[in-house]
Amino acid sequence: MIDFVQNTIDGVMIGASYGLLALGFTLIFGVMRRLNLSYGPSIMIGAYLGTLIYVQFSAGPVAVVVMTVLGAVLAGIYVERLCFAPMAASAGIASMVSSFAIWMQLEQAAILILPRHTYPFPPLATGAPLELGPFLLRIDHLMMLACALLLSAGVQYVIYRSRFGLALRAIIGNPVAAHLVGIDVKTSVMLAFAGASAVGGIAGYLVLAIDQQVTPMFGMWATMKGLIAMMIGGLGSIPGAILGGLVLGVVEAHSLWHFGPQVRDLVAYLLLFACLVLRPSGILGDAPAAETSIGRRSA
Amino acid sequence: MDDYLIGVLSNVGVISFIALSAYLLLLIGEISFGQQAFFAIGAYAAGIATALWGWPLAAGLAWGAAVAGAAAVLVGVPTLRLHGLYFAIATLAFAEMVRLLCELFRYQITIDGEPTGPNGADGFRNIRYIFENDIGPLQFLVLIYALLAAALLGFMLMERSRLGVAFRMIGEDVALAGLQGIAVARFKVLAAGLAGALAGIGGGLYAHLTTYVEPRIFDVMLGVHSLAYGLIGGLGTALGPLLGVLIDIGLLESIRSLAGYRMIIFGGVVAFLLIVRPRGLLDETVVHYVRRTWYQIGRGRGN
Repeated sequence: MIDFVQNTIDGVMIGASYGLLALGFTLIFGVMRRLNLSYGPSIMIGAYLGTLIYVQFSAGPVAVVVMTVLGAVLAGIYVERLCFAPMAASAGIASMVSSFAIWMQLEQAAILILPRHTYPFPPLATGAPLELGPFLLRIDHLMMLACALLLSAGVQYVIYRSRFGLALRAIIGNPVAAHLVGIDVKTSVMLAFAGASAVGGIAGYLVLAIDQQVTPMFGMWATMKGLIAMMIGGLGSIPGAILGGLVLGVVEAHSLWHFGPQVRDLVAYLLLFACLVLRPSGILGDAPAAETSIGRRSA
Repeated sequence: MDDYLIGVLSNVGVISFIALSAYLLLLIGEISFGQQAFFAIGAYAAGIATALWGWPLAAGLAWGAAVAGAAAVLVGVPTLRLHGLYFAIATLAFAEMVRLLCELFRYQITIDGEPTGPNGADGFRNIRYIFENDIGPLQFLVLIYALLAAALLGFMLMERSRLGVAFRMIGEDVALAGLQGIAVARFKVLAAGLAGALAGIGGGLYAHLTTYVEPRIFDVMLGVHSLAYGLIGGLGTALGPLLGVLIDIGLLESIRSLAGYRMIIFGGVVAFLLIVRPRGLLDETVVHYVRRTWYQIGRGRGN
C-alpha cells in the first residue's frame, strides 16, 4: 500500500513534466492544426545552449533558464518559418514531414554544439526530500508540479481572457475573416508558435534540472512524451494536456515498479494506441471538451 | 561491380520496399509512421523460417510477407476508422509497441551446438541462409531487384485497373468515393494489408542481406524516412518513392565527406523540396504531362 501511494506520487510528479511538454505541443496544434514533430528537438537546442554556457562559463541558474528558453524560442521560430509559414494550410502532411527533416537538422546541430554523449545540467534544488509520514517528496518535483499548474492556468488565461488570445481564436475559427477585421494573422501565428516554444523550453529546463544531465536522446524523448500526453488528454485541450501528462506519469510509474523499463515504455504506447482506437478525442475531447479545446469555444 | 556498390544498391532495393509500402497508404490518403513494424515482423518471421525451421528462402520470404500482411490487416481494421493525424499517431504507437515487443521476444533453438534465434534486445543473429547456400552478393542483388521489379509491375497494373482508380478516389475524397459506390472500408483494409505484405518482403530480404536484425533498427526514424521518400520523390507514380530512396541514400553516400553536416544539409534539402513541391518531384502533374507527351509521340509515329 505504501509502495502504491509512493509510486502514484512519483507518477504525478513525473506526469507534471509530461503535462508541461504536452502544453506547448497542444498550443502549436491548436493554432496550426498541424503537428510539429520538431517540437522536442527545438527544446533540445535550447537545452544544449543552456548547457553550453553552464559548462563553458559556469553560468548561474537564471542565465541557464533564460538561455534554454531563448534557444527553444529561436529554434521554434526557425521551424515555423521553414515548415509551417510557407506551406498551404491544406498541405498538413508536407508540414509534418518537413518538421521531421528539420528535426534531423536540429539534432545534428546540437551534436555539433556539444559532441560528447552526456553533459551535466545544473540542478534546480538540492536538499533532502520532504518527509510526509512514510512518503518522500522531492522539492524539485514539487516545483515542477507547481510550474505545470501555474503555466497551464496562465496559458488558459491568455487564450480565453486576453485580446491576443481572442485574435488567435479568431484566426483558428476563420483566418480570412480574422485578416479582414484587421488581425495580423502571420505575426500572431508566429508569436503563438514562439510562446508555445517558450513553454516547451521551460518544461525542458525543469526536466533536465531534475535529471541533472542532457543527452542527444532528449529531443526524441520530449516529442514522444509530449505527443502521448497530448493525445491521451485530448488534442488542443489545455487542461487535457496536463491531465494526460498526469495519467501517463502515474501509469508509467506503476508499470516501471512492477515490470521494469521496457514494459513501462510498452505500456505507454499501448495506452496511446488503446486511447486512439477507443476514444480518439482523448479524455477531455468529447462534448464538454469541445468547449475547452482551443478555437471551438463559442464565446 | 565492387562490393561497396553492390552493398549500396542492395540497401536501396530493400529500403524501396518499405518506401513503396508507405506510398501505397499515401495513395489512399493515409499517412503511416508505422510501416517499419511490418518490416520488422517480416524480418523476424522470414529469419525464423529459414534459420530455425530450415525452410527454403522463397518460402521464408513468402511467410514473412504473409505474417506481415495479416498483422497489417488486423491492425488496419480498428485504426483505419481514424483519419489523418489520428491514424498517423496510431500507426506510430503500434510500431513502437512492435519494436519494444521485439526487445522482449526470445525464441531460441540449439542448432549445431549454438543457440540460434531472436534473443531480446540483443537481436536475432546468424540468419545465414545465403552463406550456407552459396548465394553471392551479386545473386542476392539480382533477387532483390527481380522482386522489386515484380512489385513495380504490380503497381503499374494496379494503377490501370479499377482497384487503382478506387484507391486514388478514396485518397482524393473519402465521402465522394463512398457515394460513388466504393466500399471504402474494405478497400482501405486491403490497401493496408498489401502495404504490410510489401514491407514484410522488404524485411525478409533485409534480414537475409545483413544476416542479423536488432530491434532498435525498426525505430521511428525508419518509418518517417520511408514516408518521406514518397513525398520527396513524388506521389504521381510508384517510381516516386524509388527516386526518394535514391536521393536519400545517394545523397547520404555522395556527401559523406561532410560527415558532421550531413543531416543538416539533407534535412534542409528535404524541407526546401517540400516547400517548392508539396507532392514531390514526380507529382501527378508531371506524370500526366510525361504520359501525354509519350502518347503524342506515339501518335506522331503512327501517322
